[in-house]
Amino acid sequence: MGDASAGTSVAASKPIRDLSTLVPYFFILPAVAIMLAGLLYPVIQAFYLSFYDWKIGTDFEDAPFVGLRHFIRMVGDENVWESIWVTIRFGFWTISIEMFLGVSLALLLEKPIRGASVFRTIFILPLMVSPVVVGLIWRYLFDARVGWINYYLGLIGIEPQVWLGDADLAFFAIVFTDIWQWTPFIFIIVIAGLQALPSEVLEASKIDGANWWQHIFFVKLPMIRSILLIALLMRLIDVFRALEVMYILTGGGPGRSTELLSLHIYNRAFDTQQLGYASAISVLLIAIVTILSLGILKMGNPMKEKTDI
Amino acid sequence: MTLNPMKSLTAGVAAAFFAAAAFANPYEKYEGTTIVVSWPALSHFAAAETLVEEFTEETGIEVEIDALQYLKLRDRQILEMSKAEGEYDVVSWVVMWKGEYVSKGLLTPLSEMFTSAALVDPLYDIDDIADAYLQNGGVVGGRKGYLPGRSGALYGIPFGAETSILAYRKDIFEEQGIEVPTTYDELAAAMTQLHEAGIPALTSRGKTGHQVTAAWLLHLAPMGGKIFDDQWNPQVNSPEAVKAAEFLRHIAKTGPVGVETFGFGEAAAAFLQGDAAMHLDSLKIAAMSRNPSLSKIDGNVGYALHPVGSRCGSETGGFAMGIPANAPNREAAFLFIQYMTSKAGDQHMVELGGDPIRISTLKNNADKFPDYLITAEQLPCADPDWRPLIPEWNEINIDVLGQALTQVLTTDDPIQPIMDEANEKLRAIMEREGYYTWANYRADK
Repeated sequence: MGDASAGTSVAASKPIRDLSTLVPYFFILPAVAIMLAGLLYPVIQAFYLSFYDWKIGTDFEDAPFVGLRHFIRMVGDENVWESIWVTIRFGFWTISIEMFLGVSLALLLEKPIRGASVFRTIFILPLMVSPVVVGLIWRYLFDARVGWINYYLGLIGIEPQVWLGDADLAFFAIVFTDIWQWTPFIFIIVIAGLQALPSEVLEASKIDGANWWQHIFFVKLPMIRSILLIALLMRLIDVFRALEVMYILTGGGPGRSTELLSLHIYNRAFDTQQLGYASAISVLLIAIVTILSLGILKMGNPMKEKTDI
Repeated sequence: MTLNPMKSLTAGVAAAFFAAAAFANPYEKYEGTTIVVSWPALSHFAAAETLVEEFTEETGIEVEIDALQYLKLRDRQILEMSKAEGEYDVVSWVVMWKGEYVSKGLLTPLSEMFTSAALVDPLYDIDDIADAYLQNGGVVGGRKGYLPGRSGALYGIPFGAETSILAYRKDIFEEQGIEVPTTYDELAAAMTQLHEAGIPALTSRGKTGHQVTAAWLLHLAPMGGKIFDDQWNPQVNSPEAVKAAEFLRHIAKTGPVGVETFGFGEAAAAFLQGDAAMHLDSLKIAAMSRNPSLSKIDGNVGYALHPVGSRCGSETGGFAMGIPANAPNREAAFLFIQYMTSKAGDQHMVELGGDPIRISTLKNNADKFPDYLITAEQLPCADPDWRPLIPEWNEINIDVLGQALTQVLTTDDPIQPIMDEANEKLRAIMEREGYYTWANYRADK
């Protein structure tokens, strides 16, 4: 009897325990639903659209199904590869310099020195400016005829340069503008990481006789490695998303010298109205960003480290 | 059923009263209606806002204006006109978009309105509107789909339309002893002379894409070139086309610094701020040069005909207004367009600083504005075929020619191979879009 009643008690409590395991899923359901609606749905739509030849202004029902034609065309389209190459060069220069400057400045300014807080506030101002305004500001600064840059170069006897009308100078201009806007982002993230480091470890390294360089390269930077990886990952994704500043500043020109992949997709979709083809290139963009992101996360997943701790 | 004589009499009197009222005021039926107008944020349209207020005051029809930067208009308009029920009652398009709009079934043929006696003002006189403007901005169909012809139909009325004239600095020309150029050879010589004297010669658009193509096209027609022959074979590597590209490069080498980055606004600003001796583009430069908030050179500007190459041929461009197929208030929209482009409206636009579209307005105001006489003289030379207004034009304009001509402008590479490559790309687009289907079919037979 006693055994039987125990058996009944186990059988009765099991469904209750099963139900309780669902509670976490219930709580994350709204977030998952929003993610699916806002993120996955457009991606699936873009993938679907890439199999059709649709122009804005016509009924989608009339759009012919073209199978893999857009993807085949994309592989042989030199303009797509050119814009990928521009994006890679742009990403290499901007991310390298931004990481170097951002980390260096954070290391210099992490200590409480006079005026540091004012400098920090001024330094992060570019982050708060909308990309369209950044594009406009620098477009006028780089203007060959009335821009301040040519004006000040003129004062020291340098001929005016057509900054946005020469392929190399225009590329320099977009890299410079991006560095101006995004170095503060690296700075903020790194300085926050540095200030959160446990003082015991830093003091121990000093007691062990580490000099300034060793202190930075063997103690501080390794300890903020996951933060640096997050910053790198976010900038990398941003490089592939960058559109507004280049659109305003150069429009991708002269020629295609500053046409990043995202701008190329925009131009295909809205200038030449090839929405299906633009969607196919978007799928390529998503694939590139996903592969790069997974690669970086594999180098050292910050979330995993947190869990291990 | 029996008729009550008193009721019949009352109904008859009422009908007569309302009929008389309808004849007395063609706008009454639409009083209180609100129409939405999509047009560009440009000086002509800003000036027109006063006329719009007067329209509302006179007709009781409210007008909401959605003004956008002109190169952004197309995306917005297409999206709006693609809906089952749109918001726009009137759209103003750059003439090169008309073929695309009509091919997608987005516009209302104006014949639907011009056949309604209650709507059409008998004094409207459409024949007074410059023919080049009307054909270029409003007619779709005809030869090649965008040229005058029996299969053409009217979809829009020009408003903010233009042709090209030469504007030059009288003081600089006098100082340098330069005669006003009437031919392209004289123009090129004047540019060299000015450059050697340290004066930036001719300003121009040059920014990658639409702008640099527009600049080149300005010279292509007078030099005798065309984009396509009558069988849609591309001709952008012809000797005339290469010569026009060489001239564009000459502009960059002798003109103000930064031509490679100029859109229309920047090119005009260079002239208006005194940084260039000549401006050869839209006649809008005349009204802009008279505007003290834009110009430092008012009083020193002379106007002349677009120089002649192997033939005379100025551009025809700018804007036209029409009614979307999904417009909620099509009749009120027509009344608006008619009011704005009427003889009185056109005259008032001149007084407000806009550009007229009617020959009578140009002639009536020639004493006050010397450029009007030049414009009236230029218009018979305006070439409606200076660029092909086919649905594929945007891709050709931006993606092919806009890239090739940037290479012409920003490098010293030989021009012929650049244009040969562009020609092949054009052929591929035309092939893809089926322009050679009939020719291939007949050749196979």
